[in-house]
Amino acid sequence: MVYSVGVQNQYNKKLYEHASFGKKEKDKRSKCENHDALLIEEKTKHPISTSIKIQTNKLANAFTKYPKKGFMGSKNANFYEYLTMGMVPYLIGSGMLIGVFNFASKFFDTPAAVNSAKLGKKMGLGVLAYGILKTLSKKFIEVPVNLMRNVDVNLPYDKVVYELPENNNKDNLVSHEYHKVFESVDFPRFDLFYNNKYFGEERDAYFKKTAKKFGFKEEDVEHSDQKVKPKIRETVVKTRLFTTLSSYLWAATGVGVAMQKPWESLIINPKTRLANFKNYKQIAKQAKEQGRNIAKYNYFYKDFGNKFVESCKQFINNNHKATKYAGRALLGAAVGMTILGNIFALHDFNKDKGSKTQASTSLIDDSKEKVIC
Amino acid sequence: MTNVLNAIIANKPIRPTVQDKSPSFTFDSEGRIKPLKDKGKLLPSKIFGSPVEYAKDLKQDVLNIGKAAKGKANDHELGRINDLAMKFGSLCLATYLFIKNPLKLSKAMEFVGFGSFFASMALWPKLAIQAPLKVRTGVDIHQKYIDSQGRKKMLHQDPQYDLTDLYSREDLDKMGKKLNVSENLPDRDDFIKQRAKKTAIQGNTLWMATAGFATPLMSALICNRLEKPIAKAIEKYDLISSSVGMEKGAANGPISKLKQHLAQISLNKFLQQNADRVMDDKLVSELAVKLGGKANSATLQDAIKEELKSLKTNVKLDESFIRAAVGDKVPQDIFNTLSEKQRTLLNKSIAEGSVRGISDIIASAVPGTKHEQMQLKKTIASLIEKAKTSQELPKLSVISDKVQSMYSSLSSFASEKAMLDKFITARVGDKSGTYIANQWGRVGDKLIKSLKLNTAELKALSQGNMDVLMDKLSQLAANEMEYDKTINDLMRLIGDYESKTGTPVVSRIKQKAQDICSRASGDLQTKGFSKVADKITSSSQKGTLETVINVNTAERISGAQSSFYRLIQAIDIIKKSKDGKLNQQLSRILKEEGQKFDIATLEKLSKACQKVVLTATTTDYVEKLKSAGFELSEVEYKAVMKALFDNKIDTANTLEQSLSKSVGTERAQEILQGFRNYKDEFMNKVANWQNGMTKDLSRRTVTGITNSANAVERNNIAGKPIKNLIQDVAKQTYNSQKWLKIFGTTFAALTVITLALGLTFGRKSKMEKQIEEESKVK
Repeated sequence: MVYSVGVQNQYNKKLYEHASFGKKEKDKRSKCENHDALLIEEKTKHPISTSIKIQTNKLANAFTKYPKKGFMGSKNANFYEYLTMGMVPYLIGSGMLIGVFNFASKFFDTPAAVNSAKLGKKMGLGVLAYGILKTLSKKFIEVPVNLMRNVDVNLPYDKVVYELPENNNKDNLVSHEYHKVFESVDFPRFDLFYNNKYFGEERDAYFKKTAKKFGFKEEDVEHSDQKVKPKIRETVVKTRLFTTLSSYLWAATGVGVAMQKPWESLIINPKTRLANFKNYKQIAKQAKEQGRNIAKYNYFYKDFGNKFVESCKQFINNNHKATKYAGRALLGAAVGMTILGNIFALHDFNKDKGSKTQASTSLIDDSKEKVIC
Repeated sequence: MTNVLNAIIANKPIRPTVQDKSPSFTFDSEGRIKPLKDKGKLLPSKIFGSPVEYAKDLKQDVLNIGKAAKGKANDHELGRINDLAMKFGSLCLATYLFIKNPLKLSKAMEFVGFGSFFASMALWPKLAIQAPLKVRTGVDIHQKYIDSQGRKKMLHQDPQYDLTDLYSREDLDKMGKKLNVSENLPDRDDFIKQRAKKTAIQGNTLWMATAGFATPLMSALICNRLEKPIAKAIEKYDLISSSVGMEKGAANGPISKLKQHLAQISLNKFLQQNADRVMDDKLVSELAVKLGGKANSATLQDAIKEELKSLKTNVKLDESFIRAAVGDKVPQDIFNTLSEKQRTLLNKSIAEGSVRGISDIIASAVPGTKHEQMQLKKTIASLIEKAKTSQELPKLSVISDKVQSMYSSLSSFASEKAMLDKFITARVGDKSGTYIANQWGRVGDKLIKSLKLNTAELKALSQGNMDVLMDKLSQLAANEMEYDKTINDLMRLIGDYESKTGTPVVSRIKQKAQDICSRASGDLQTKGFSKVADKITSSSQKGTLETVINVNTAERISGAQSSFYRLIQAIDIIKKSKDGKLNQQLSRILKEEGQKFDIATLEKLSKACQKVVLTATTTDYVEKLKSAGFELSEVEYKAVMKALFDNKIDTANTLEQSLSKSVGTERAQEILQGFRNYKDEFMNKVANWQNGMTKDLSRRTVTGITNSANAVERNNIAGKPIKNLIQDVAKQTYNSQKWLKIFGTTFAALTVITLALGLTFGRKSKMEKQIEEESKVK
């Protein structure tokens, strides 16, 4: 299947003349097997290391392998690689934004440098807050959905890709991609749940368990996969929608907090802090006695924590009335969207009517025998 | 879907009774399933989409949110919602920052930043990658197509989902020609399609690799370039809107009315909540703030306090009041045992309202030692006073009508004055972004340009290096053409300044201030609040609000005018020192004073003149230039001052010639007259200032005229030192140039690299060349 060559033109014929595909013995053996594997066990047992492994792999490839293939115009380049390369502008762009507001200030005279550094600090923190809150806030909806519906929208799987030989490369034709089972709502990889021992001995154990979570009756659970798939799909769509909407509002709230005045006096000063790391308590005490700014000698997290609390307070309780209400409105919108997301994602709007989007529910007669592949 | 099909096949030939609205299959004449006829087509290849199209897509995206909330969206729709959500989140953030920032320019820049970021995100791939590649190879890497379901997508988004069959014959020929694909090649179309696909993969990769660098840089550069035009636009808007607002009475506009309404609600609430409180000092202060409002000065609030305090209830002092007041401190029957004489005296004191007299008589009637009677007398007096005061001070509820009445007059006044303040602030306000501040910035920019500084000189100037400044000004003065051009440019700016702050504008402010103050004052007088009325405007009182408005305006205008004149003077003096005229003037003065001098003295005084005009502050003049580092004798001080400010000595001929060339004789005479007036005023109020603090210099004056200028006036006449002006602008220019150099160069380099890489895309590979060669041989 994966070796289908499409249009057999002269150009392609030339390519396939030597097409032994360079497959190693073990790859040849499993030529037509689907190697794609759900990473449910890895994710459950080692969630952090699995996540780090996947992200590191994607990040490394996004900066090295995929751009190389892309610049060559490789015929093996695909949409996954294109999307993964999306990390590149995201990360470089964040760095550049911080740089644009910070780098030049060292060439300025005081007080321009001081003013520029103040703004730079806030912009830098804003970029970080944007990224962190945008990612974290999605969990506010995704975790409840997973707990209540057994639908993990981030569930990863390892996709094995067999590439076409190119540029005399006949050996390293197998590559791995880390996809999410529900990354496509049009084509979710439901097939990966079947016969997965992790969920139980039964072939469709996952769907049975999920059907119960969706509140199907005991008698319906028997044909659970056909019943529950549309529901899962709907849940994924709603979860994706509200995590998207809320994450940008949370990100904006994060930047709003980062733009508050207290951050201007945040002392980063890594050199001094590292030098004072061992006996910071003594140095901080001395600084206090001598009336110097203790924040410079204290642990960074303490200073950071204080500034964070002050900034949050200022964000929702600013002296300027309109700013106060604007801050509250932004935070309220983010919280509200998260709550709304939970309500929508967990509520079954089509419970009584049957899902119209899924032809299956309306077209299939449960009383008749069906062929399931 | 397979299951669905199987289910249908199993039930063949029965057709489903309920069908999906748009199933992805159809049936042939025999009832067999067959695919739908494809309706996909390429959209016209355009670099920029039309706003109508954008609006339609936006509408569809918004509708899709509703669909997705019910769990019915597809991947394409969710992807588009993500883009929309990103823009919406950023817009929310920009709105928050817009509200948070106090300055109009900063507010505007928040939205400019938002817009420029998304514009850069969209423009960079179009301008640096898509367009050049399209021109060179004919391949539009962002070619869009519309699929059978009517969804707009990118043709080359997924290289493994080959849609190149959608290319028309014409498209393929165009691309083939540009890609230099041999005409006789068998399977030429497939060859072209492969090359187009390859080019698109390369272009998209380049996009991903460069967007992270380009978007923030491009956005920052756009913001940097737009800041000044936007500041100018805001300034224009403020000038016009404040003028229209003041004349058309925008105080009665909907926003202003809403504000008044809200303030009225707040006052009513306050009156209700505090109805039972007596009008003590605390309550009076709270009310004064509410009634006085932000727009009015503290002095008006003081007048309101006085007025409120005067709203006392007249307490009738009679025997029953006194009995109640003293209570059990005095035996009550003492009032019945008073002698006739004591009774007469008591009645007399009551009639006169003399608390002292009353307490004296009662205390003397109580048996006891003299000392005890003295103590009792004090106690009685204090008790009566206390009772009297507590009854005199009315409850707020009693006078709430009067408070409301005062408020109605004051609130109209406050909103009218707010419009006048806006008019004044837009022109001469002491804050950034006003016309006067911007114009002063433009003068600095012009001057910096005229000085033709390189980066090192600019840096030195930004650090306040006087030698560079003198040197550069000397060079400017030595070059006749440059000198005339600089004067011409400065004159244009000054002319513009005068048109916006000259006599007609000042008269307008005066007239308006008089109108609104008289109206409010008359209204308050009629209602009986004369203290507040007199504080707003009065022919007999000093320091009324009307006077404050006029004086403050005049001071700001004269301050800026002096700074302009000082600038002209600085350039003129530098020029005179170059052509020797300054030395001639100094020697003439020294001769008149009967002072012997040599060349060295003349040089010293000439340098002093130049330095003074460039750097001296008001304090330096007050200290007779001692604080500026000059050890000048009395005669030398006089010589310097006369050379600079004595119209009889400094005839400004050079300046006259240059001015006449740039603005014409008539206008030159006008400006020179203003310049002469400035110098006269300077001589009298600043140069002649007698300072009592430093004894040895205190009596040192040039003409012996004692002046009456206060510190603010002196400061306004002295204007801003030219060195400070140039240093400020140099700092700004240097920082801006440095920033632009770093990031502009980086962006330029990135653009060149991107374009250069683009040139290598879409080329034939070795294998392709080989196939082409082989086909030629065949």
